[in-house]
Amino acid sequence: DEIGLIPCPEARYNRSPIVLVENKLGVESWCVKFLLPYVHNKLLLYRQRKQWLNKDELIDITCTLLLLNPDFTTAWNVRKELILSGTLNPLKDLHLGKLALTKFPKSPETWIHRRWILQQLIQENLPSLATKGNLGTAPVERIHRLVQEEMKVCSEAAGRYPSNYNAWSHRIWVLQHLAKLTVKVLLDELSSTKYWVSMHVSDHSGFHYRQFLLNSLIRRTVTDNSILVRNQMVNEQNPSLQKEEEIAGTEAACAEEQSMDLPRCLDEEMELCSELIDNYPGHETLWCHSDESLSNSHHSPATSHMAQAMDVDGLNESSSKQGYTQETKRLKRAPVQDSLGPEMEYQFVDKVLSTCRDVDQARFATAYRKWLVTFLGQ
Amino acid sequence: MHVGGEVDVRSAYCAASVASLTNILTPSLFAGTAEWIARCQNWEGGMGGVPGMEAHGGYTFCGMAALVILKQEHLLNLRSLLHWVTGRQMRFEGGFQGRCNKLVDGCYSFWQAGLLPLLHRALHARGDPALSMAHWMFDQLALQEYILLCCQCPAGGLLDKPGKSRDFYHTCYCLSGLAIAQHFGSGDLHNEVVLGVPENCLQATHPVYNIAPEKVARAVMHFLQYPVPSLDPA
Repeated sequence: DEIGLIPCPEARYNRSPIVLVENKLGVESWCVKFLLPYVHNKLLLYRQRKQWLNKDELIDITCTLLLLNPDFTTAWNVRKELILSGTLNPLKDLHLGKLALTKFPKSPETWIHRRWILQQLIQENLPSLATKGNLGTAPVERIHRLVQEEMKVCSEAAGRYPSNYNAWSHRIWVLQHLAKLTVKVLLDELSSTKYWVSMHVSDHSGFHYRQFLLNSLIRRTVTDNSILVRNQMVNEQNPSLQKEEEIAGTEAACAEEQSMDLPRCLDEEMELCSELIDNYPGHETLWCHSDESLSNSHHSPATSHMAQAMDVDGLNESSSKQGYTQETKRLKRAPVQDSLGPEMEYQFVDKVLSTCRDVDQARFATAYRKWLVTFLGQ
Repeated sequence: MHVGGEVDVRSAYCAASVASLTNILTPSLFAGTAEWIARCQNWEGGMGGVPGMEAHGGYTFCGMAALVILKQEHLLNLRSLLHWVTGRQMRFEGGFQGRCNKLVDGCYSFWQAGLLPLLHRALHARGDPALSMAHWMFDQLALQEYILLCCQCPAGGLLDKPGKSRDFYHTCYCLSGLAIAQHFGSGDLHNEVVLGVPENCLQATHPVYNIAPEKVARAVMHFLQYPVPSLDPA
């Protein structure tokens, strides 16, 4: 379940450089300078059609290559061809990638290949799937398991390299394309990453992920509300359509349930920020996150449905992201009368300023206070 | 980026660069591209590789430069972009970081600092009276200090930060960043700010294409002689 290089500059004993202990694979470093050029050359000769390799040899060679250097695109592409021809089980490549990531947690080519595999799997256009590994489970369940596994792989890779852009980007991609950004998945991810970000307070990518989750939840609520409002409008025109009303009724219940969660999520996020800022002085990421969370919670759409419906029509028509930047949010939505929020923030910042001894912390707190004044206009 | 490869804002920049220099840029070739790039801008003010991703210096440069080529910079929130990029210059080192809360890296001398000439031009076109006519909106001397004092390899070449080894990529982008930091504007408005001896002064680089401005002019002139090829088979 893990690979690594054992620093060992010279072959001391006449034995294999491969070491396997407790399911972890080690390769003694002295052999790499022989092994890598050898397999690399073999693959290139095959690609240039100067030397034939059969399917099993190809699988072995590419596997070796990729565990030594997973950014070798050609090797991944050879495996793509094997998968498309039905000779190689794509799930094996997910496992190979996972293994490569234990040593190379950023490897861009590994993540890219992974996305290709996942796309193939959800499109279900591979001949090998019909016969292997499927066991006839329902597609929804299979996708759910794939998503959970991806979350785990991303989390481990994120832990192996600070601010691992590629790992977190992949995580976002999986939610967008496999999990379809359902409310349940977004809330689950919020709770399961809470502990992780508390343990990695300078990991900007981790906190950005939480912003992505919260923004997706906000967008979800806004879209659901607009469906609700449109249905209400339809109802008003056709009071005799019972079925419509029922649908509107259940959607109202859903929307309310979701909109009840949203302010609480945003409040919890602010609490998390404040707690982490107190415990770990001087981390710019936490203050950035705090800025944005406060901005979101102050302009939460959950509290004024009708106004949001108008905005949503406009937002849906233009496909630009303008609607979600801080500036236009302020312009489009009237601030909610919530006297508790800003008061608490001022108290929090003033407390930090009076008690902190870390220079950076003081600087961030001062900047935050200035921002509060501009933003809240008080 | 290549057939079957990843999709991100870099490819948009590569395509726009090539198309504009070789005079094959048509509206249909880039239909919808500018809007897609604008969606890469996020709440931080910078841009990610694709919509939804964390703001990152490399991707932000590519996105902004591509929009400049496509003449659609106004689709971005320029103020929040300016706020984000200026926040990326490190107060102690003088160089730039690629993302919030990360370490300084010599190559961002170009990717990040290079955004400021582009922003300056875009804001100037809007008639912003507060714009300086002599300096970019970052500390040009501090960046030059970082590059010259910390990013040079004694054996030649440049690098990310002290302790790292040299490579062509860092050599290229440290030098490009140095050129940006030394030269403000062009023509009548040209203002040189050179740290250390005058021999430190590099040739200016084109802020969009990062090649010599004369080369850009010559390429454009050359390809303007040819008609724009059509997509229909001959």
